[in-house]
Amino acid sequence: MNTDYQYIVGHLQTALATDPRVNLLDVKIMVTNDKVHLTGDVLSENKKRSVEEVVSELYPHLEIRNELTTIEVGRPRGPEVISD
Amino acid sequence: MIRVGAIADVHFSKNSAGRLADHWQEMHNSVDVFVLAGDLTTHGDPEEAAVLARELQVVQVPIIAILGNHDYDSNKEAQIRRELESVGVMVLECESITLPINGKTLGISGTIGFGGGFAGACASAFGEPEMKAFINHTKDLSAKLHAELEGLHSDYRIALVHYAPVKDTVVGERLEIYPFLGSYLLAEAIDSAGADLVIHGHAHHGTEKGVTSRGIPVRNVALPLLGRSYAIYTLDKFKDEIPVTKEEIVSAEMENPDLVEAVA
Repeated sequence: MNTDYQYIVGHLQTALATDPRVNLLDVKIMVTNDKVHLTGDVLSENKKRSVEEVVSELYPHLEIRNELTTIEVGRPRGPEVISD
Repeated sequence: MIRVGAIADVHFSKNSAGRLADHWQEMHNSVDVFVLAGDLTTHGDPEEAAVLARELQVVQVPIIAILGNHDYDSNKEAQIRRELESVGVMVLECESITLPINGKTLGISGTIGFGGGFAGACASAFGEPEMKAFINHTKDLSAKLHAELEGLHSDYRIALVHYAPVKDTVVGERLEIYPFLGSYLLAEAIDSAGADLVIHGHAHHGTEKGVTSRGIPVRNVALPLLGRSYAIYTLDKFKDEIPVTKEEIVSAEMENPDLVEAVA
């Protein structure tokens, strides 16, 4: 494994946390064989695209596998009773 | 009985309009009060808060909110607060509010809280000034939360925080980031002052249900965790209480005809 990959992961995590298009702290990033694998949950398709945009701007030579999942927000369930 | 709707980590952005209004507009049929446990915006931009504020206008019950770490990111938390307050949202930071609901009173004390970790693996106010400042900030907010809760004399009390007060509700997150997700100091303050329920967010991949050392229920209502637009918790510790006023008897008759008949 190329040990530089861990620094790339660190730089990408910082970029995704601080770039105002994204501000995500919990994207899972794995870099192997010049490919970036992105997994985790995002709240919109727009956000998913923005993550990819930020990654490609920072490391244009890396291939991106964007496997982020967009969260489907469901209706509330019945109440939980908290008695004591 | 008081029905509490709760959600956290909605992370509104400038293009989030319409994302949750459809879910929230009928909320008054199932809850009496709606609480938002922080991370209301993505970048802490007041324009994002304005989008959320417009979305919240469909809600027909009192709305209580605290801010989260994302809401502080642009150093415009005061403007975010004003945006929310402009549509009637009551925003708490080391503050409390008491609401009369269904013949009882509900007190809510709120603070964002902060990190440091949980018993057995937590940071201490030791070493460099930066480390001391980190933990002392959590201590300070925990002490203020304690004072706020102790000052409440309501029938029910809720502690509303953004960071997690117990480890139970962050389980599912990576162990390495636990100290950034919450602090036992918050739970210690809540246990010492007492509360009926603790609501928090922040840990997107955590666990919904937990409990403090003294048995106070803790609920993590982060939207990415719940996968729904809000959770509903019913506070009902007075369900066996015998009604004493005419209004309470009428209210009890509607809720439990058998109980009133037995008393009569």
